[in-house]
Amino acid sequence: MKLSIKEKIGPRCIIKEDGQKIFDEIYEPLMRGETVTLDFNGVSQFATPFFNFAIGRLLNNISEADVRRYLQFENLNETGNSVVERVLENASKQHSNTQLRDIVAEILAKQAKGSD
Amino acid sequence: MSQTVIQIPRLNDYPSDFEQLFKIWSQVNDHFLDIRFDFSRCGFLRPNAVAFLGGLARLIESRMGKAVFDWSTLRDSWVRTTIRQNGFAGAFGDLSAPWDGNSIPYREDAFSDMNTIMDYLTYNWIGKGWVHVSDRLRDAIAGKMWEIYGNAFEHSDSSIGVFSCGQHFPKHNTLVLSVVDFGQGIPEKIRNFVGNDPRAPGLPADACLRWAFTKGKSTCTDVARGLGLDLLKEFVRLNEGKLEVYSNEGYAIINKSGERYENRRISFEGTVVHITLHCDENLYQFRDEAASQR
Repeated sequence: MKLSIKEKIGPRCIIKEDGQKIFDEIYEPLMRGETVTLDFNGVSQFATPFFNFAIGRLLNNISEADVRRYLQFENLNETGNSVVERVLENASKQHSNTQLRDIVAEILAKQAKGSD
Repeated sequence: MSQTVIQIPRLNDYPSDFEQLFKIWSQVNDHFLDIRFDFSRCGFLRPNAVAFLGGLARLIESRMGKAVFDWSTLRDSWVRTTIRQNGFAGAFGDLSAPWDGNSIPYREDAFSDMNTIMDYLTYNWIGKGWVHVSDRLRDAIAGKMWEIYGNAFEHSDSSIGVFSCGQHFPKHNTLVLSVVDFGQGIPEKIRNFVGNDPRAPGLPADACLRWAFTKGKSTCTDVARGLGLDLLKEFVRLNEGKLEVYSNEGYAIINKSGERYENRRISFEGTVVHITLHCDENLYQFRDEAASQR
């Protein structure tokens, strides 16, 4: 399966609503083990909310290794690629830490460390 | 109700200037007010103050009050030119039309219209020619700036939207953008999120901001998030600029020498993100662009 991002949402990959549209298109094929190619030809602007929803949330149900194996990118520029990598790294880290986080403890611990 | 006159002082973008703005906010933080803003003592007005005062006027109006900027008191020619040029005066009853110059238009975004805001960032802010960047880098920087608007719309729960203004200062060779919302504020959002925890109300604002600026930290639990502020931090450092955030009583400053978080004496309900970039072309290149010029 090949999906033209520009045809689907336009030249800007910015907002989570557009990311969700892409997720809805690619989730089932990826779950079936199909190779999906996202073609970013004509797309020039990127931000994290789009990729968090289009790709990051795939890791809730698909392993990072399978996402990397079956999801391919064409014509994605350096900026877009850098955002994708960060989103995958972040989603992978957060997915592996599935225990309910104690945010209050995190905040207080960071504060203690930061004000040393 | 009788009309209250608020004197607008000279307003730069130092922390003491933001304190003056937050004091004005505390004077008008009520319903059914009738406020007249007087410019007779105002000899300087930075874009952070323009965005803040514009938002404040809309906040007063949203609370069934009345806010008027008294243009007849505007004596300083630099302030007059600036706020006419950036469209602020026109947005509040002055008959002048904005024009192109060093000012970057004043904006009011009641809701998140991504394409309009991205056009503003791409063509009116970074892409206006203050600094010569490739189209590719211009697009990359505009995308990073979107993170400020994305956060404001998604997390602030501001009922009146987001207000912004910018300016190019040729003398200092800097480019400024201020984005203001009058929502709940980042520390308050975090305290509310962990509201069942007995320690929540006592969480210091500086600690909340420090946490929010850490990669991967977010109050959203459905999808892994928390990268936007970290990306902005990295960008500002690379470009030797400055990113300042005022939110409730918290203050964060990120620059090339590091990051600092503080609790300040004066608080307000909302968030101001104020970013200052140097227009030095050597600081605005992709690695391959820099290599091709050697």
